[in-house]
Amino acid sequence: MPQTGHFILHSNVMPPVTAGAYELVTEQVDLPFGVEPEHTHVQIAAPRYTMPTDQILSSFPPANAEGAFGDRLPQVVLKRRTLPWERNPAGQVQPSETPWLALVVVAEGEAQLSTATPVKDCVTAGTALLDPDDKDVEQGLYLAVTETVVKKIFPCKDDLPLLAHVREVDVNDTELANGDDDGWLAVVLANRLPVFDDANQKSVRYMACLVNLEGQLEALPKPTPPVANFEFVLAQDWRVLASVDPRGGPDVQVLGNAQLGNVVLPAAGVQAKPAARAALAKAGAAAAQPVVAIDGAAKMTQPSVGKQWSSATQQVAAVALDPDAKRLVRDTMAQGFRFPIEAFALEKVLRFPVLAHWSFTTNEGATFEKLMQGLDVGLLGSVAEPPPNTPAADARPEVVQTGHIGLGHRTRRGDPVRAWYRGPCVPFPTARDSTSKDQPLALAHSADQLRRVIPDGREDLALAAAFEIGRLLALSQLSVVSALLRFRGEQFGAGRVREVLAQLMPFVLPGLKDERVDMGRFVALQVLGVLANNTDRMIGPRRPVADPGRPLRVSGDLDQVIATGLGFDLASLRKRADAVGLLSALDQTNAPLALKPGQAPNEKLVVAMLQAALQGELQRTLGVAAPKVAGAVIRGARGRATAPDALDALLAGASAEDDEDDEDTP
Amino acid sequence: MKAFINADLAIQAALSAATDYADIVTDRDPDDGEHVVPGELRRFLARLRLLHGVPFSYLVPDANLLPIESIRFFYIDRAWTDALVQGALSVGTISSADRTQLEAVYPHIRAEVDEAERTIRQPRGEALLKAGSGTITGFILRSRAVSGWPNLHVRAYSRDVVADDALTTAAESDPSRMKVLRMERLAPAVLLVLFDGVPAVVHIEEPRQGIQFGVRIDPDSPANQRRVKVRDCDNGNPVPPENAFTATNAVDVPFRPNAPGVIDMATLRARLAAKAPHSGGTLEPNEYALQMLRFPFRQVFGDPDNQTESKRFYALDQFKAKVALTTWKSTVATKLAKVDS
Repeated sequence: MPQTGHFILHSNVMPPVTAGAYELVTEQVDLPFGVEPEHTHVQIAAPRYTMPTDQILSSFPPANAEGAFGDRLPQVVLKRRTLPWERNPAGQVQPSETPWLALVVVAEGEAQLSTATPVKDCVTAGTALLDPDDKDVEQGLYLAVTETVVKKIFPCKDDLPLLAHVREVDVNDTELANGDDDGWLAVVLANRLPVFDDANQKSVRYMACLVNLEGQLEALPKPTPPVANFEFVLAQDWRVLASVDPRGGPDVQVLGNAQLGNVVLPAAGVQAKPAARAALAKAGAAAAQPVVAIDGAAKMTQPSVGKQWSSATQQVAAVALDPDAKRLVRDTMAQGFRFPIEAFALEKVLRFPVLAHWSFTTNEGATFEKLMQGLDVGLLGSVAEPPPNTPAADARPEVVQTGHIGLGHRTRRGDPVRAWYRGPCVPFPTARDSTSKDQPLALAHSADQLRRVIPDGREDLALAAAFEIGRLLALSQLSVVSALLRFRGEQFGAGRVREVLAQLMPFVLPGLKDERVDMGRFVALQVLGVLANNTDRMIGPRRPVADPGRPLRVSGDLDQVIATGLGFDLASLRKRADAVGLLSALDQTNAPLALKPGQAPNEKLVVAMLQAALQGELQRTLGVAAPKVAGAVIRGARGRATAPDALDALLAGASAEDDEDDEDTP
Repeated sequence: MKAFINADLAIQAALSAATDYADIVTDRDPDDGEHVVPGELRRFLARLRLLHGVPFSYLVPDANLLPIESIRFFYIDRAWTDALVQGALSVGTISSADRTQLEAVYPHIRAEVDEAERTIRQPRGEALLKAGSGTITGFILRSRAVSGWPNLHVRAYSRDVVADDALTTAAESDPSRMKVLRMERLAPAVLLVLFDGVPAVVHIEEPRQGIQFGVRIDPDSPANQRRVKVRDCDNGNPVPPENAFTATNAVDVPFRPNAPGVIDMATLRARLAAKAPHSGGTLEPNEYALQMLRFPFRQVFGDPDNQTESKRFYALDQFKAKVALTTWKSTVATKLAKVDS
């Protein structure tokens, strides 16, 4: 697995076999008797007419988005890495490096997206499919496009392998692989940039369709010599059909291109000549007006194209709120792609099964770089100097260096005057409080308190306007008004309790002046203060940092004591030491052992010895702690032969509160 | 009667009254701590401070102050926003007792709303910053870039420590980064951003919506032509010069005649293969995808005297292939051979 933040691109991941029904035949040979061959049937399933939603991880541009997508190729990311190669578009059994999926981007008016149709009708009539019975759904969608449009916008056969690849990402990096299980994703790119209509400065709505190319590779366009630039003209514009009654009447269905009033349909299969294009543009303009309907009597059933344009995004967003959203959103996004092209086109109309589709709008032709570099940078509240010789001086706002702007103002008496105003956004840092720190904060209770007259005689209404809009914004929300009133009521109640308390409590109650009102904290601080000031009285005298240890009582010669303790003869050791030196003498002397190594101790003996030792230690400790000589006056302890320890000092301090000068010098 | 009230009873009464008192005047918010001002009110006032709901004509009183395609930086006038809050507080102060009481509580309200300003916008995973009031600055961007590129990234730094073309950024609570107090599209093409402090440098970035493939518009060529910058096939680095289209580092995108925006992929591959270093004369589909990768751009606003910022527009397409493609090819080949056998 690649590192986080990295990914690996692979050309393709081929499945060992393509999808379909297989039969494994097992035969036994060279046996003296005949054996029937065994037939095992295996079905390898793969999507064919619809893409399961869990297989689509993401799409770019996002569905129903508006933005500047003109220099990015639309793409769809699929979960299973082998998906684009699981069928052979040429109709053979062997896997092929040419993917059977293609992402086709059509502009509004170029193609027709069908409603749910039985899958056998979802492909162009007469197309030979490998196994027509292999279908994942009963009904699917198809894209109906004329041969001209296929020639113009569908990818060539040679382009197909380049338009699909596999990406391997770190599966934990959710930005790249949300919902994927193994971190391998298949990506299908479109071959068409969803460009902006630069000529008319209009946004263009596109639909991206993931289509199945099985059996129709031959219909794809042949490579043509490329050109260096493009021109925004729709491959074919069937949008005029929007103003035609979709039912149309039997004549239209039978006779094809019928008399449609002043509507001119695209000349099928013929390149649009300049004159024809002009007629088309005229037809587009006329389409906004009511067109004479075919039967001459019925009213138009669909809104004009212009209306569909502006509201397509809002309609999708509104439909998404419906409980039946999943179906409706898809359906509404297809709006504008439902023109009954098949009923009107004179040339051959091809059908491609659509596995997934979504629409988006390109509303910007410039690049981010160009826009950002072209920005006019400045501070708010400053206006660029007009170029000289500009007569329209009155068109410029009256802005001064402080950022104030002169605006018309009608006083309460009705006089039209000019007043100064400045918004909250100013071109330089300003002071917050005009009053000094000692004074209470200035608080205005009405807007009039904030009106200022500046030396030039005009009023400065900036703060007064702010006060008024703040008041109106608060009043506009009932919840805020009620919260304010409740807050105020609580504060009044609290004030009354405080008055009662002031009578009862011996403390000085905190005011609202400097610190936050918090009775619990106040009491805690008071208690802490009292404790800190009278530690001896409230807590007790301090203990010394370290207690002095118990003095060792050694009587007599230290060497003798050690030798006795270890159980060897000091005199003989000394004699020996004179001869060979102390260290070797010690080395040669064996200390007698009570137990041999490995021998179990005599329990009775050991217990008796331990008891005796414990008793002796207890007696000694008791003798120190409660000496018999000490009478009723504990202070006398200081005069004893044994030095007083910390406990003595503590006891002495407790008995005499005034005696606290030499506690720490025992 | 007095005989029945002893000292014990009095202190009991005082204690319970004190507890009640402290309870009443304190607003306990499990997320936000204890305050005098109730949470809903505090948050409403803090939102007011950040100019939520204030009509746009109050912010920009004349259209000439914010022309088309412009960005305007500003400081927030605290006196103005205080007047806004005072106006909101004045609702329902009828008697002079109301006003006296409001005057007494106002310093607390102001201090607590100062603190609450930073809690209005809390991105997930960011630490909550707490402090008193400071300078608030910001900008209003009126541009087609706002409508064409929804979800722009805006970042401000108090010190210019992040390299202008760095791929990553610091967390919003990082000391060198300024917290964004508010970022909102007021209109389809108008973006308002407020920062908690005075930034030294501001970055505006194209949205990063996953990995994208695409072409570039050369600023010097006509609007209906496109070019693709060439990358080194071995490591994915763009061929220098970074910020210009030359004959060696870019190819023209071939389009199908009479079809708007349809790219002739096969020809483009041949052109890229001829120009990309280490291509070996041909491009596999994955190598082709590498060439077509597009990364977001970043615009840096800062001190123009700072030499490192003289180049103010950066392509964030530092693309690092950690393993050479040839190595990967052989690895994949051996793996596939194992699968086949």
